[in-house]
Amino acid sequence: MLMSGGIDSPVALDLLLRQGHEMVAVHMDNRPFTDDSPLEKVVDHLALLRERYHQSIPLYLIPHGSTQVTLMRNTDRHVGCVLCRRFMWRSAERIAEREHATFLATGEALGQVASQTLSNMRNATASVHLPIVRPLIGFDKQEIEAVAKSIGTYGISTRPGVCCQAVPDKPATRTQLVQILREEEKVSVEEILDECIRKAVVL
Amino acid sequence: MYRKLRLCSNSGAYEAIPDPPRPLDLVRVRHALEQEGIAVVDARVMLIVGLDPEVTISRNGRLLFKTRDPATAERAFDRLQKFLAAFSGGDSGQ
Repeated sequence: MLMSGGIDSPVALDLLLRQGHEMVAVHMDNRPFTDDSPLEKVVDHLALLRERYHQSIPLYLIPHGSTQVTLMRNTDRHVGCVLCRRFMWRSAERIAEREHATFLATGEALGQVASQTLSNMRNATASVHLPIVRPLIGFDKQEIEAVAKSIGTYGISTRPGVCCQAVPDKPATRTQLVQILREEEKVSVEEILDECIRKAVVL
Repeated sequence: MYRKLRLCSNSGAYEAIPDPPRPLDLVRVRHALEQEGIAVVDARVMLIVGLDPEVTISRNGRLLFKTRDPATAERAFDRLQKFLAAFSGGDSGQ
């Protein structure tokens, strides 16, 4: 389960835990493009959900800041969010393989932010093979917030924090896979990924 | 000329925005900072500067101070002034 520290991902995780799934959390550490607050929020979300569902829920912390620097220096900024998501998905899939997980999950809901249009989601997830579960895909923001408040994660998610500074001023909302692959060829995907997974820590 | 520092939209940091707009030559800003022994991450369209607090300098001149303490942000802002004043007016073609 990809956990961002935002409102959506703990709600999605709660729904999956409620169904009885055994979950593993992954947080992509975006520092220095954020501050410490996203990680602190994820840690607090998980503390709450671990207690509620009596599950250990390991948290993998994967460095992502250096990947962002590489992408920003070498690729078209407009498609940066999709390229970033592809690295997130790949990282999550590597962890899933290590943990023998059978699916990947996120708190994505259609149309909420630039990376969450249908074409961007499809092009981001074309980088991985495992099935992807999105429990919130048809929820609107009010519905997600209502669940977040009812399970106690809303107050954690809305604490002050620095937004991702790597988001471009005008992110592309409609991308084509051929365009994404062309941009991705400008960086060494496997090398970057190997390095990030090697530096990952479990909290 | 910068507007007064203000909390950013998520209330997690203070930001300073130039008025009128003031594009910066980030390559020259980076070199000047590094000559003073200040660590800089160069992400091409922005610099992340290892002051206390950490500061993001965008090409359009926007500054983001990663602290919720206005006095700490003001101190870092004052420290950056000499670097920014010399290098406004666009990039050097990086």
